[in-house]
Amino acid sequence: MKSFSSYVMPILVAAFYLFLYIPIFVLVVFSFNNNAYTHSWVGFTTSWYTDLFASTEVWYALKNSLVIASASVVLSLTLGSTLIFFGSRSVVRRLLLVFYGSLAMPEIVLAVGLLSLFSFFSISLGTITLIVGHTLLGLGYVIPILYGRFVELDVNLIEASYDLGATQRQTFFNIVLPLLAPALVAAGLLVFIISLDDFIISFFCAGASVQTLPLYIFAVIRTGASPMINALSTVMLIVSSFLVLLFSFVQVKKIRGHK
Amino acid sequence: MKIQKKVRDFISENTSFIFTAPAVLWQILFLYVPLLLVVYTSLQRFSGAKFFDLTLSHYAALINTAYFYIIARSAFIAACVTFFCLICAYPVAYFLALRVNPRWKNSLLFLLTLPFWTNFLIQIYSWVFVLDQNGLVNTVLLKAGIIQEPLHLLNNIYAIFLVMIYYYLPFMMMPLYSILEKVQHDVLEASMDLGATHWQTFRRITVPLSMSGVKTGIFLVFVPAFGEFAIPSIIGGGQQMFVGSLVSHYFLVARDDQLGAAFTIISGLVLLTCALLFNWLCKVPLQEEQKEVAS
Repeated sequence: MKSFSSYVMPILVAAFYLFLYIPIFVLVVFSFNNNAYTHSWVGFTTSWYTDLFASTEVWYALKNSLVIASASVVLSLTLGSTLIFFGSRSVVRRLLLVFYGSLAMPEIVLAVGLLSLFSFFSISLGTITLIVGHTLLGLGYVIPILYGRFVELDVNLIEASYDLGATQRQTFFNIVLPLLAPALVAAGLLVFIISLDDFIISFFCAGASVQTLPLYIFAVIRTGASPMINALSTVMLIVSSFLVLLFSFVQVKKIRGHK
Repeated sequence: MKIQKKVRDFISENTSFIFTAPAVLWQILFLYVPLLLVVYTSLQRFSGAKFFDLTLSHYAALINTAYFYIIARSAFIAACVTFFCLICAYPVAYFLALRVNPRWKNSLLFLLTLPFWTNFLIQIYSWVFVLDQNGLVNTVLLKAGIIQEPLHLLNNIYAIFLVMIYYYLPFMMMPLYSILEKVQHDVLEASMDLGATHWQTFRRITVPLSMSGVKTGIFLVFVPAFGEFAIPSIIGGGQQMFVGSLVSHYFLVARDDQLGAAFTIISGLVLLTCALLFNWLCKVPLQEEQKEVAS
């Protein structure tokens, strides 16, 4: 057993990481391939990156995605934090179940439901319907995260604030929100990424007028992709790894600061 | 002035209600009302029919072995994906949580989460370059002389299966890692001190302690895998129908909302049954073990 854990385990883990990274590695390599039609290596080029930065479609889709993601973050954090603070704890604890509903079903069911709602009331699909859907998705994550943090807060701090004559609004903005800040940042980032990454709800609720980044990628892949998608993937990979690094760095710093 | 004062009084008297209601309303309006609407649509005779013109004919149309196969196929592949994800993720989560050199831990965790934050379509698409006729696997095998003709690795159920495992691994990994991380070394050492072997400690202490993480992981993988439709349509070439692909076909291509809604409801009920059955299966051995301990 000793030898098992000291030799076989690391090999298994290495194989696991290889499995995780080989496709990504190949994808990045082929973003430099000088061949638009087959997946065999021809030669080195950076022209796909030039194409990418010149493409208006990509930037338009990215802009839409960013607008929708930011709106969903703001909406779900506002709805979530007011619910957590103003609702009494026993009520909120019971309400949590209502918010787990969206996590317990496949996203396609949510998407079908939203589509039925919008078509029943003849609401035209577009940016607004996407924001509605992504906020719904976000609330399922925001409320448990914020609630978990809020329960851990020292109740005395809130009571002290009232004792010293602060109103409920002052207490919310000056005491509770700053204390919730780490949870707000974490939940906000999660919702932002979920919204940027979301495909299924977007696919059902976007209609013909709005194109988000995942919808654009899907359309290109379906109609025979060009290596520009690889270039786009590589850029997105770099941005997301930078964000993850930044995020873990901020958290580590915060923990050290507390100590 | 009077009205303003009344409004202000109303707000200060009902602050709690006014500020908690929006989030709850949002959830009801955009999650639960739509679900009821899907049920209603599935009973509607046709789009634009009179409000009370209801029928069960769409459900009757779905009593057909073809639909049964589609649901069974989705449930089967979701179950297989869940099982393989568990088998692959558990040793790695165990190693990262309890065995790894602390110096490497953070970088290994970072590398683990990175694909998870990558766009999901990109993760799927990257496999095209690995499995394609001129892809990595075929090139390597041809160069090594193992095969003479390139293999057709894409557009079949095995490719779908492989890519689904790849995509859902992190969903299994996260809950497993976070529960194994909480297992205290003291407990494991106590077990060893009392004469248990490594294997016994793992089997009798580590695995039972991590069961709640296993359960969460199974739910996190099985539920979305059951409704998956992007992976079959990109990797499988849309040849085989799954629950997700048929639902999107009805709503977005065929525009037969009524039949699509009925199919969604039936698939949802199958999924719910699977979840309840699984929950029940989890409880049975636990109770027996408790009885064993008690006696």
